[in-house]
Amino acid sequence: MRALVIDDSRAMRRIVSSILTGLGYEVRDAGHGGEALDVLNEGWVPDLATIDWNMPVMDGLQFVSAVRSNPAWRSMTMMMVTSESEHTQIVRALAAGAHEYVIKPFTADAIRDKLALLGLLPQEVVL
Amino acid sequence: MTTFDTAERRRTVEARPVIAELIDAATVQAIAEEAWISLVGEEEVLVPLPGELPADVLSSWVDVVGPWTGSVVLTTGRRTAEELTRALLRDSAPAELEEEDVADAFGEIANVVGGSVKAALPGQSALSLPSVGTGPDVRNAADVCRIDLLWRGEPVAISVQGALPALPAPRTTPVHPTYENEVPL
Amino acid sequence: MTLTATSFDWVRQVVHRESAIVLQPGKEYLVEARLLPIARQMGLTDVGQLVDNVRTRPSPENTRRIVEALTTNETSWFRDGDPFTALTTTVLPALQASRTHGERLQVWSAACSSGQEPYTIAMLLEDAMPNASSRVSITATDLSREMVERTRAGRFSQLEVNRGLPAPMLVRHFTRAGNEWEVNATLRRMVTATECNLSAPLPRMGPFDVVYLRNVLIYFDLSTKQAILRRVRSLMRPDGWLFLGAAETTLGVDDSWERVVLGRSSAYRPLKGA
Repeated sequence: MRALVIDDSRAMRRIVSSILTGLGYEVRDAGHGGEALDVLNEGWVPDLATIDWNMPVMDGLQFVSAVRSNPAWRSMTMMMVTSESEHTQIVRALAAGAHEYVIKPFTADAIRDKLALLGLLPQEVVL
Repeated sequence: MTTFDTAERRRTVEARPVIAELIDAATVQAIAEEAWISLVGEEEVLVPLPGELPADVLSSWVDVVGPWTGSVVLTTGRRTAEELTRALLRDSAPAELEEEDVADAFGEIANVVGGSVKAALPGQSALSLPSVGTGPDVRNAADVCRIDLLWRGEPVAISVQGALPALPAPRTTPVHPTYENEVPL
Repeated sequence: MTLTATSFDWVRQVVHRESAIVLQPGKEYLVEARLLPIARQMGLTDVGQLVDNVRTRPSPENTRRIVEALTTNETSWFRDGDPFTALTTTVLPALQASRTHGERLQVWSAACSSGQEPYTIAMLLEDAMPNASSRVSITATDLSREMVERTRAGRFSQLEVNRGLPAPMLVRHFTRAGNEWEVNATLRRMVTATECNLSAPLPRMGPFDVVYLRNVLIYFDLSTKQAILRRVRSLMRPDGWLFLGAAETTLGVDDSWERVVLGRSSAYRPLKGA
């Protein structure tokens, strides 16, 4: 399975990428929503996108809306991974079309639990 | 009518809560501990004891703009900031850390801590992207909540500090009719 | 450092035996940090004393506390999701068909820890049946007073709500309270939390339609397992449902139960006449 990790922080991209790689994903990353759309337009459409909210150029919510407006990208599961943690923000992201929401700070187990809920764990993981 | 006279400005400032009314040191400590577990490592411990910061310090911060306006600032020795960066990057840390790696990783910790502080404050606020450098000056000593911690024996200070002069009040604070139709951040 | 090499080795052996998790040498500080609160609660000054205490007077409860402190960071919501899926797909429809209108459904979460299990059950029932809060009562019990108080408070840290709780359920059933999240009052009213020691005679409770007794029996010897299952059975309705942990079974322990396969999980039902 493929995952696209979208975050303006390189450190955070590395953290999330290494969790997903450890779960068996093939991972690419992008520094903001615009770069992520470039990846999709190349034809590399992942099973999962993890999306930060606050990013320069194009933020996470704009990215989610852009993906939702293109039927070709319907199959992609979108999971916000962000420090935006108010109730209203989570509601906004879900309303815009995000499927799941992980609040920073999170642990590796949190990502694994959410993927299990979404049916997106590529393999049985032995700890 | 858009001008502020001095008296109105003062009232606006007085109508704003100071941080001590909104968050306490124990909450900031709990927020920091969670951020450390998540970012730095699941067995990383922050000890609530003050230490003496070295001369060469680095700060990272995010601004919070809302009913309360200010910054959430992390300050530590430059070497500790580098060590934090290595802990964050784990296996993918380069042999030689560049300035940019440290700014990015240390900034992300401020982002995560700041996001949780923002969520613990009442009302709606907006968060800026993180900055890294010498840090914003404390403008109002009465509007600061600071905790001093030790991480791996090295001091780390976290300060939630108000900004003065205050930014225009959001419309939840009824101080001036001009702001009634303003879109909240 | 109060932990001797012998004490550390004992902890490693216990944790490995009970959970199959290997604590590498060098994790002494982790053992110290996680077990010190337990030692203090027991009125002991350090972890060395705790280990000596449990070694000389073996107690499944204290063993369980030690193992849990070292192996679980945060309990997940919907932990091993299948027993919860079975609740709404099979168990609830069956109970609704056999109960008269107005009968209150009684559920027991028998080792509730910090409350994730009883509130997971409450959320599922609230979403599955109208007016659930007046038709369901959930009894949550734990050995530890601290855990019972946490369950009662219904407040969870950011790290805890990230663990396996679907975001739509978080926004539907929780509100922010400072830097924590609080379960809504409707759900809190469904849950009554009390202290209860499963290996001693049980208080008057129930009768229960559904019991979740998960990841508890593994810590006890055979005769205690049998006694616990017998006592649990006496508090259940004859057509009730018991859920055990994924690694637990009544088979070979107590033959008065019938195992029923429900999708990917199993439930146990009292055998008639047994």
